[in-house]
Amino acid sequence: MIKRRSILIPVIFLLPSVVFLLTFVYIPLFQNFYNSFFSFSVFSQTKTFVGMENFRIFFNDRVVPVALLNNFKYAVISVIFQVAFALVLAYILEDKIFRRVAPFFRVVYFMPVMISISVIALLFGFIYNPQMGLLNSFLELVGLGDWGKPWLGNATTAIYAVIAMSQWQSIGFIMMLFIVAIQKIPKDLYEAADIDGAGKIRKFFSVTVPQVKEAIFVNTLITVTGSMLVFNEPYILTNGGPGFSSMTMAVHMYQEGFVKDNMGYASTLAICIFLLSAILAIIQIRLSRTGKDD
Amino acid sequence: MKRLLAVVVMVLLLLSLFVACSSSGDSDVSNEASGGDRSSSSDSNDASSDEIVEINFNHRWPNEPRKSFYDQKIAEYMEANPNVKINVDAVLNDAYKEKIRVLISNENLPDIFTSWSDSFALNLVSSGRIMPLNDILAEDPEWSGNIMESQFAGFTFDDVTYGVPFTIDGKVFFYNKDIFAENNLEAPATYDEFIAVLDALQAAGYENPLVEGLQNTWAISHYMGTIFQRIIDPAVLEVDYQDGYGEFTDPGYLRGLEVFQELATYMGDLSTAITHEDARNMFGNGEIPIVYMQFAEIKLVEDIGGVDFGFFNFPAFADGKGDPNALTGAPEGWMLSKNAPPEAIDFLKFLTSAETAFEFTKVDGQLNAIIGAVTEENTSPARMEAYEIILNASASAPWFDNAVNINVADVFMRGGQSLATGQMTPEEIIKDAQEQAARLSKE
Repeated sequence: MIKRRSILIPVIFLLPSVVFLLTFVYIPLFQNFYNSFFSFSVFSQTKTFVGMENFRIFFNDRVVPVALLNNFKYAVISVIFQVAFALVLAYILEDKIFRRVAPFFRVVYFMPVMISISVIALLFGFIYNPQMGLLNSFLELVGLGDWGKPWLGNATTAIYAVIAMSQWQSIGFIMMLFIVAIQKIPKDLYEAADIDGAGKIRKFFSVTVPQVKEAIFVNTLITVTGSMLVFNEPYILTNGGPGFSSMTMAVHMYQEGFVKDNMGYASTLAICIFLLSAILAIIQIRLSRTGKDD
Repeated sequence: MKRLLAVVVMVLLLLSLFVACSSSGDSDVSNEASGGDRSSSSDSNDASSDEIVEINFNHRWPNEPRKSFYDQKIAEYMEANPNVKINVDAVLNDAYKEKIRVLISNENLPDIFTSWSDSFALNLVSSGRIMPLNDILAEDPEWSGNIMESQFAGFTFDDVTYGVPFTIDGKVFFYNKDIFAENNLEAPATYDEFIAVLDALQAAGYENPLVEGLQNTWAISHYMGTIFQRIIDPAVLEVDYQDGYGEFTDPGYLRGLEVFQELATYMGDLSTAITHEDARNMFGNGEIPIVYMQFAEIKLVEDIGGVDFGFFNFPAFADGKGDPNALTGAPEGWMLSKNAPPEAIDFLKFLTSAETAFEFTKVDGQLNAIIGAVTEENTSPARMEAYEIILNASASAPWFDNAVNINVADVFMRGGQSLATGQMTPEEIIKDAQEQAARLSKE
């Protein structure tokens, strides 16, 4: 009797989360996989089975390589700025010299995280505006007027303009996670390093980086998988244009599904995005061997 | 001290909540009471007028002046019909298209909403969730007879009408009369003359004599639609625009894309980074001589002020096979959901009544399909001129993005951006369009 109850209680506690996960994550995932073999429209309820046709379209779609490359650029630049640079920022802010002003700067860097992405995109729309934009005006002011460009309208600069906005917004969040991690490092490690005569840079590489390894891994995972899914920024700023030069996989999926009404193909794209981010996550977990340390 | 502060804040919050709740409760009660009074005094429909009927109303103008106009009309209607409560939701243009597509895929379609004509309307109709209006129109000839017969075409499929046209429109080049006079130029009638005018303006110092907000892909589709209509044989277009039958093999498409490419060189780098609204504002401020705009925008340009402008229709091509005097532009109107309550039909009649339309012309400025609603009394000379152009056009061509399947339209629209930035050639775009068309004909 007692034994039976002891099994029942954890099951009851787990049940709500399992039900939620099933209805909102796993069932839609499988349904989506199923849908990717069909061709259908939101306007009608009939689905036509097309087999692997959607996957054939996927491999012949000229937008896909552009979108994947853009996602890749997003990932690389985000890892450099949001992970590497945010770690440096966090280290500087946690330094004794900045102790007094650190809380202020923490707020300053964290502020963009709390602003809605739509608002930020509108703001950057003004910054990048070719006629009265802040960026071009600033370049003109410092005598670099020739560098001025219609940033969002130029096929080469559009994606970088979009990525730059994301960095500005997200760096504060990752920095905050690193600050927490750095604060957890035992102080005696730094004291020992001081006694050994280590400088600030040496302490950063020999104490801070190894100690926050786990945080680095988590943050890289967040940014890399996040950059596979990036949607809001390109959607609001450029809608993937001009042409499809700043298209990302998620925007392409949305366009196919809700603008061009190819729900089946959009499901195929969704599956591919899922597989890609899953593979990336697995590779990272393997590489860093997390969870096996203890 | 801190604790005291916390307690005070909590009490204040609770009080405000309490007050808010009770006041809204009060207003509910008074609403019901007045509804009840009315039903007892008018003695009609006791059962239905006792309960409040909710109508969900979606339109696509969260911007002024139309938002306020509809808000006011809703308020007027609810005051006259206390048993009706109208929930309004407004989303702009492209976002509205997407929203309606999402809503129609389930049962949440609003009772009454705005729709474009032609393929956009046809798509909605194919869902089987739109109310056919033939009986309603036939039952009330006093109301329906007041709506221009010609404008129903874009909402009628297989002799069944699914929408009531309201605003009417046309797309022409707006030109700055002062700039043209300064440079001794005249409105061009042929494409070659048009290019000569653009060259002359460029020589006169206007780096970008023609500007368009190419960030808005629909603006590109308007160009493409008119260019194809002018160049290509109408019989070919009719087949190609039919969903599932298109081939897009006519050499006219390539020629059309080359024309757009040539025009894009006059638009400059800037165009792909701005919206159509930016382009309109630049025109309104006298910075650029020519913009391709809709008559619906006349009032917006007038409101910026200070520019004396005229119109000319898209110039004719020497080798064009289409009607050179056709006007691109299609009506927008209202549709009802199949499950809409009778009150929504009544509200539709109110929205398209002669009185509402007359006031609409005055407040909003856009021309509409209600007979007698646009007169010299309530509109400007420029808009009156536009009204005459629409009424006298030899034929009307629908918006390209509504005329063809969106998959093909998207190839041309994004292709237009790629042409302007030099990322693609006309041949590549045609190839893409043919592939899309072939895929659609297989389905």
